[in-house]
Amino acid sequence: MAIKGGHLVAKYLKEVEGIETIFALSGGHIEAILDGFTQYNIRAIDVRHEQVAAMAAQAWSVYAGQTGVCLVTAGPGFTNALTGIANAYLDNSPLVVLCGKHPLKEDLKGALQEMNQIDMVKPITKWAATCYETKRIPEYLSLAFRYATMGRPGPVFLELPPDILNVSVPEEDAPLPKIPTRKYTVHPDDADLKQAADLINKAKQPLFLGGSGVGFSCCDLALAQFMEQTGIPFILMNYGRGELPDNHPQSIWDIGNIGLTVTLAQADVIVIAGLRLNWLLQSGGAIPPTAKIVRIDIDPHEIDRNRQADAGLVGDVNSVLNELLPHLQKNDHSAWLKTLRTASAAFIDSELKARETPSDPIHPIRLVAQIQKVVGDDAYYVTDGGDTVYFGLVHFTSKLKAGVIGTASGLLGCLGTGIPFAMAAKIANPDKPVILFNGDGSFGFNAMEFDTMLRHNIPVVCVINNDCAWGMVKHGQELSIGKDRLQCTELAPRRYDKMVEALGGHGEYVTKDEEIIPALKRALESGKPACINVMTDPTALSPASVIFYQALKME
Amino acid sequence: MKFKLLLFILTKKLKAAAKSNPDYKKHLGLMQIKVLIRTADGKIGRLFIFDRGSFSAASSAENQADVALIWADAATAFRVMTSKNSDADTFQAAAEGKVRIEGMVPYLQWFTDGVKLAM
Repeated sequence: MAIKGGHLVAKYLKEVEGIETIFALSGGHIEAILDGFTQYNIRAIDVRHEQVAAMAAQAWSVYAGQTGVCLVTAGPGFTNALTGIANAYLDNSPLVVLCGKHPLKEDLKGALQEMNQIDMVKPITKWAATCYETKRIPEYLSLAFRYATMGRPGPVFLELPPDILNVSVPEEDAPLPKIPTRKYTVHPDDADLKQAADLINKAKQPLFLGGSGVGFSCCDLALAQFMEQTGIPFILMNYGRGELPDNHPQSIWDIGNIGLTVTLAQADVIVIAGLRLNWLLQSGGAIPPTAKIVRIDIDPHEIDRNRQADAGLVGDVNSVLNELLPHLQKNDHSAWLKTLRTASAAFIDSELKARETPSDPIHPIRLVAQIQKVVGDDAYYVTDGGDTVYFGLVHFTSKLKAGVIGTASGLLGCLGTGIPFAMAAKIANPDKPVILFNGDGSFGFNAMEFDTMLRHNIPVVCVINNDCAWGMVKHGQELSIGKDRLQCTELAPRRYDKMVEALGGHGEYVTKDEEIIPALKRALESGKPACINVMTDPTALSPASVIFYQALKME
Repeated sequence: MKFKLLLFILTKKLKAAAKSNPDYKKHLGLMQIKVLIRTADGKIGRLFIFDRGSFSAASSAENQADVALIWADAATAFRVMTSKNSDADTFQAAAEGKVRIEGMVPYLQWFTDGVKLAM
């Protein structure tokens, strides 16, 4: 029996990788694949901008535990997707991007959307290729999925021109691989394990910092045993957050970023797992020179990057922790944990008070606290913006894996990621509330996706922290060039809630503290995609703004 | 008394640095912030005012500030602020409930970094 190239793509996705949901925006060049989705019953979430397709597919890797796939058309579809691909690349997230291409037979003839896509996308992908033969589609897709997930994960890009998508081949000429993509683990040397265990066993004031490598290695069981055995206080960041619940007795999310900064300076041994020492940790500058460092990373290049390790364990976090466990002594660091909690509380006194104190205008921390009070910790929180991300990351807590994610706090600092991430979180977890805490600036990038949410019944509740500004940049300008010379940082008090209502969603407008909780309850009960537009204190800035300003000061 | 004297000397040092220390002047930049250091009872305190490169100070401990370092007592304040290991000692004092920070902590870090340049 013959099968069309486009259908072969869908067949591979469904039958080999078990993909049931993808993110796409249609286009003529990719019509045969879209028809393949119908044929093989794959749910295509068709969005309103290709960057959302890429971002939501990246988020699918985070929330569904399965490599995310997006499909975009050639030319502008491709260029629109680039920001999302770059974000996945800098976040080390697996992502398979399938893309249209002008027909091969029209190459160099001035074909519609003819351009060199591969050279443009290469620097932001782990692997980029064009498939030239219909029967080789399964082989190329197999390569794509393996590149996306093996070692340090990342995005891959596969172009499929109409010449191969719109022609049929006998199915027996294009056999599907028998083995789906799976993780291949790397294991550290015994000597390295013993060296690391020795440091951990002797530590007096240790800390464990986990990053996205913790989340992507799915190491919850090994991590729980490690924490139980060592008694080490820990914080899980980026896509590692929630691998153990935020309310775990040794989790120190309650001390926030400021508490962490203060505490880091007092630690004598720091275990850094699946986490790069990038600008968010001052490229290693936040780590005290006296501390002993144990690095665990799937990428050997990271072991000494920005800070030499005293013990370096190369491998995925799950495998490494499992191999480390037999070498670890039972330890109790409860006194250290108590000290760091009490000390940190003295540094975040104002933030803790802001949670409990009604204010007019509403302080964003108070807003977060009120949301948390209603929604609880059995929910997904997505935060997007500048200061907004800080307030959300520090003051939301969840017991779920990836329960609190600051989508714009990655290396790309990519505003606009909140809506696509929230959409993916809700599709992957339809029974859990998904709250998107969005700055008003960042909301604007992908706000039209409320249409997508309405068409596909994705009832995300978006709470806008509306300070009528690009707040973080505005506050940075206030510090660097003065309040009287602000440029391009102020927005207007727009009724985003009305915009969402006009599309058919639920809208709420909040200006007073006592209105927050009733509005949130109505939004959740509506069962619709909802927008709660909350006017907040435009003078409220986060510590992140000050740090951001200082990081860019060059003289 | 010692703490009061320490704040007085610190004011003098910062004033001098703001006029003649190029590194400190660069550090000040265009920052417009107020840093308050005081005892919890408000009896001793100093407000450090930075305004686009200029520096001044006020003695009242009741002023509003962008960040305030509030010590339980003057003796602890003097001991920790003059310690050679002041970061660790501040952490310990915080753990013992002898100091707390109100407001924007990074400003305090900025202030401390400046003091190091000025000394």
